[in-house]
Amino acid sequence: MIEMHDVYKVYGNGVKALNGINVKIDQSEFVYVVGPSGAGKSTFIKLMYREEKPTHGVILINGVNVKRVRNWKIPYLRRNIGVVFQDYKLLPNMTAYENVAFAMEAVETPHRKIRRRVQEMLELVGLYDRMNALPSQLSGGEQQRVSIARAMVNNPGFLIADEPTGNLDPENSWDIMYLLEEINARGTTVVMATHNKEIVNTMRKRVIAVEQGVIVRDEQQGEYGYED
Amino acid sequence: MKIDTLFRHTREAFRSLTRNTWMTFAASSAVAVTLLIFGFFLVFAFNISYMATELDKQVAVRAFFQPNVTDDDIDQVIAQIKKDPAVAKVKFVSKEDGLRQMKENWGDDESFFRGLEKGNPLPDGLVIQAKDPQKTKALSDSLDKYSQISDKSYGEGVTNNILGISEWVRNAVFIFGLGLAILAAFLISNTIKLTIFARRREIEIMRLVGASNWFIRWPFFIEGSIIGVLGAIIPTAVTLVSYNAVLGILNADGAYSLFKLLPMWPLSMYVAGITTILGILIGVWGSMISVRRFLKV
Repeated sequence: MIEMHDVYKVYGNGVKALNGINVKIDQSEFVYVVGPSGAGKSTFIKLMYREEKPTHGVILINGVNVKRVRNWKIPYLRRNIGVVFQDYKLLPNMTAYENVAFAMEAVETPHRKIRRRVQEMLELVGLYDRMNALPSQLSGGEQQRVSIARAMVNNPGFLIADEPTGNLDPENSWDIMYLLEEINARGTTVVMATHNKEIVNTMRKRVIAVEQGVIVRDEQQGEYGYED
Repeated sequence: MKIDTLFRHTREAFRSLTRNTWMTFAASSAVAVTLLIFGFFLVFAFNISYMATELDKQVAVRAFFQPNVTDDDIDQVIAQIKKDPAVAKVKFVSKEDGLRQMKENWGDDESFFRGLEKGNPLPDGLVIQAKDPQKTKALSDSLDKYSQISDKSYGEGVTNNILGISEWVRNAVFIFGLGLAILAAFLISNTIKLTIFARRREIEIMRLVGASNWFIRWPFFIEGSIIGVLGAIIPTAVTLVSYNAVLGILNADGAYSLFKLLPMWPLSMYVAGITTILGILIGVWGSMISVRRFLKV
């Protein structure tokens, strides 16, 4: 469960990104975060995986006050949170298999467990046959699926996605969405910032709209609600 | 840390070194160049320090006995002086030894002293060295209590000059060496920063998937020390080979025996050891401060 109570974020250069956010996201929910560019969506997302600290307010992840967690303990907090980005962030000189295995090595998983789990994840995202391909040999959609496999390989309770379909054509975008829905159905909480009107209006889920640093709308089965 | 993880870190370090061949080359060359200067400096410093110590050894108190003392008196005084903890060495110079030395010093004009052997007017004497050459004056003063000793001298003016110079040389060498080491560390950390900058994405991803800070640091730590060792090999070899050559030239002609240089062993061991350790320290330090920027700790 993710809870935010009265959260403000002011950056060092004086930009006020968030101005009093109150929200509660339950286990196994699927949430879209929408809003115009520069509204604070990215900051909202970054606070959840502790890439940024709130200037004021309390953020609880499964009851743990994120602000109070010591810097050196943050990695352990992150192990329960998978993150996916618009630009995939794959390591270019590693194969699909190695990119996914990397996330398991980084948390010191024993070797014998890595192979089986990585193959399992690549099968889930439909890239079992392409495991030895380098990112440059994969399409954008395939690369994003590898990055989702990497985010999920350590079995986190949360998957946070920042515009995961931003660089993809509609067909590949839908592949990604079905994959996220499947992951959500298995019990992982999914929070996804997006600009994709078609997806939000078709695959109906909870919608949180952020404008000028505050939540202006929070609806179950919501709509995108913007014209871009 | 699990042994599995240690293997992984070492493998990663080597993989990164071989993958970024040019960066490895650049970083260890930077280490090598600075260590080469440092190596020459080190040999120079060791020898200067050695010469200063040799110079200090020349500083001693010369004491002379009353003409009428007996051998027993002499033995007694020597035994007492030896008990003083500040004394390093006591050497007895008999009146015959004294005369022989004087003749040697006068060289061709030794004929002046012919015939003195029978009624040798010189007194028996002692050469006393202090453990700490700086305390020679105090040692000299402490000899006042022996009535058997008629006169003493430690060459006040000259001694103070020698001690002053050797002290000054040691301090200068130390400060210069420290400055050189700091300069080298900055040069090298900059080069290593480049190699880490090329891998900031890898670090970013490790952080995102929850790798601990030390897990991220270890490969860089190992990489830094390998760069340090690689960078130390050539300068150590060049320094020692050159020094050996210099020794060979100076020793070939006895005329230069004025410069008493340290022998190859154990100097070569010190130089190799200090250079390698310094290389590793600089490499590791450079890696650590560079990786810090990307860890946001």
